[in-house]
Amino acid sequence: MEVNITRENNIITVRFSGRLDTPGAQKINPQMNALAEEASKTIILDCTDLSYISSSGLRIFLTLRKAAADRGGKIIIRNICDDIRNVFMMTGFLNLFEIHSYNCNNCN
Amino acid sequence: MRARVMLVVVATITLEVTAIIQFVYAQKEIKKEASLRAESELKSAENKIMDVVDQAEAAVRNSIWVAAWCLEYPDSIARIPQRVLSENPVVVGSTMALVPGYNESLPLYAPYATRDLETGEIKMLSLATEEYDYPSQEWFVKPMELQDSYWSEPYFDENGGDILMTTFSMPVKDKNGEVAAILTADISLDWLTEYIGKIKVYPNAFNMVISRSGQIMVCPVETLVMQTTVNQFALESEDYEALDRVNQAMLAGQAGEMPVRYQGQTNHVYFSPVERTGWSLSIVLPEKELYSGVRRVGMLVAILQLLGLAMLIVILRVVTKNQAKYQRLNEQKERMENELHIAREIQMAMIPKTFPPFPERKDLDLAASIIPAKEVGGDLYDFFIRDEKLFFCIGDVSGKGIPASLVMAVTRSLFRAMSAHEDSPAKIITLMNNSMSETNESNMFVTFFCGVLDLKAGQLRYCNAGHNPPMILTDAIRMLPVEPNLPLGILNGMDFIEQETSFQYDDALFLYTDGLSEAENISQEQFGETRIERTLHGKKRSEEHLENIKQQVSLFVGEAPQSDDLTMLFVHYLGDMNKDSYHLSLHNDIGQIALLPEFVETVAEKAQLDHEAVFNLNLALEEAISNVIMYAYPEGTDGTVDIEAVVDGKHVSFVITDSGKPFDPTGKEEVNINAEVAERPIGGLGIHLVRTIMDTVSYERKDEKNILTITKNY
Repeated sequence: MEVNITRENNIITVRFSGRLDTPGAQKINPQMNALAEEASKTIILDCTDLSYISSSGLRIFLTLRKAAADRGGKIIIRNICDDIRNVFMMTGFLNLFEIHSYNCNNCN
Repeated sequence: MRARVMLVVVATITLEVTAIIQFVYAQKEIKKEASLRAESELKSAENKIMDVVDQAEAAVRNSIWVAAWCLEYPDSIARIPQRVLSENPVVVGSTMALVPGYNESLPLYAPYATRDLETGEIKMLSLATEEYDYPSQEWFVKPMELQDSYWSEPYFDENGGDILMTTFSMPVKDKNGEVAAILTADISLDWLTEYIGKIKVYPNAFNMVISRSGQIMVCPVETLVMQTTVNQFALESEDYEALDRVNQAMLAGQAGEMPVRYQGQTNHVYFSPVERTGWSLSIVLPEKELYSGVRRVGMLVAILQLLGLAMLIVILRVVTKNQAKYQRLNEQKERMENELHIAREIQMAMIPKTFPPFPERKDLDLAASIIPAKEVGGDLYDFFIRDEKLFFCIGDVSGKGIPASLVMAVTRSLFRAMSAHEDSPAKIITLMNNSMSETNESNMFVTFFCGVLDLKAGQLRYCNAGHNPPMILTDAIRMLPVEPNLPLGILNGMDFIEQETSFQYDDALFLYTDGLSEAENISQEQFGETRIERTLHGKKRSEEHLENIKQQVSLFVGEAPQSDDLTMLFVHYLGDMNKDSYHLSLHNDIGQIALLPEFVETVAEKAQLDHEAVFNLNLALEEAISNVIMYAYPEGTDGTVDIEAVVDGKHVSFVITDSGKPFDPTGKEEVNINAEVAERPIGGLGIHLVRTIMDTVSYERKDEKNILTITKNY
């Protein structure tokens, strides 16, 4: 699990790549917690290279979403594959997030 | 035995009492009858005597006035007796005897008229002879004394031989009223002897006539006649007192009946007086004779009764003997049936009866049942596992009772013997058939079905020997196609055709004997295959199926008696030739989660799952074990999580086992996925995903272990 954060004009883009499973979530958790402090801005969670997500990853997304709601920011999810979209559907996340494009580069 | 004796005793007493009552009653009747007869005979004899007596008296009385007139004319006196005689044939002699001194010229005068014995002509004699001295004779003295008529004692006629006579005398009075003469009429008593002798009330009865002085006038013993008085006779007899009483009564002119013992026998004496003459008539009836008829009848009755009793005893003996025989037979039968039942119990004990028979096996769910009929029958089933193969059979021996039961035992032993080393059902059956038909002298046969199920491959090989086809339960219920073949024990050397089919997971075979299909209700309808098929619908455990059928049959049959054994065998296959299990053991280190994708990939490949399914399975499995890895064991301690993945044609299951602290994830509350952002809790998504993805999720705490089983159906 790798995460790459870039900032441009008050827009923070987070690029996930690999499997956001429990160990993966544990690994990126400190960075994500720090990112929650900037939740007053617009944060794009780019999932183009994300191939898997478990509830630990979902918890990170939800934490950011709650922080954005608190601080008046915005979370945009970009490019999720069908598998992850399915997980979002099962968990009601489709209603919680603004999702741009379902294209996915990295779906097996 | 006691009852028999009692019966005979009661019968005897009843018969005897009846006989005695009858006898006494008959005796009374007979005595009454005898009395009537005796009295009537006495009466008629008396009438007869009186008739003669009246004639004699009339002869005299009618001549009295002439006689009185003749007193004036002594010359004509002799004509009076002549007249009496000639006008009255019963009179055999007559005299008119003057009272001595009445007529001075005729001091003694008694002209006597009598009949010549030869000619019958009347001749005149004189009684006024010195040697006769008529004034001293009874016939003269008594009427003189009495101044009235008088019947003399009987006497033998002195000139007329042995003729017994009696004389009626009557005084003849002159115009002064003085007795001047005695007019007499003699009558012979020969007729009396003859007449009385003829009266025979009974063959040995006899009659007597005695005079007023007790002289025996008529009597069967001639030496006694006119020789003895009854008083003298009584003195010499053995029963003086009784005889004396009779005599006194007779002499007193009484009528009646009295018993008298004479010559060792009881006699009944009926007696009756004869008026005027002072005689007494009597009839003597020996009692023996009187009752001889009754005695004869009584004897006959007694003999008949004895015969009857003898017959009764014989019949009773035969009956009790038969009864004893019957009882003995019954006891024998009972004992045999008892022994038979014990034998059957022993056989039943040899047949596997513990269910489930293989609790450790997950790939087989088997149940069987025999409901024996009242009469011992010959159904059997048997099964065992050898080399991962299930050998099973069901059979029905023709007929019932001991032979069927014995053949059943033999069949079962042969099945075990032949299947010990042989895997082919056709070969097993062929061997059994040869063995049975070789020695089958009773011509009994067995319908038999034998199957061998390869539990690993799901391959069923089977062979049918004349048994009704089993039902196979797959997606549908239908009859297993079977070659009929011949039953066992009929034809030696016969070839049996083997068949085979393949079992999938959850397929089942239901075998039964005709005791089920031919179970009859009161209207003699049969349960039939359609009802069996209907009852088998729905996926159930084998034991539930059997219980179901038993209930249905019981409802259908109702009160009708069970006539045949009802045997069922249900083989439910839960194995799968494609089934594989995979195992993964993880430490309580979260990094181990990385091993899951490859594991799931392997499992999924076997199950031929698509990408989405693999993704979901991976996700569910991760959610199920991540909590365990992180929280089941205290920090710093080593622990493991075991994952057993089972794949068959239709399911993928994961069994997750750990030895950590008790934790039931299924007890967690369901998360609300439609809540607004602010209300959404951070946790609870893991178990929600497991529940959403998998079809069944179950938790069990067993042997200090948490066991979570999650299954996905495809």
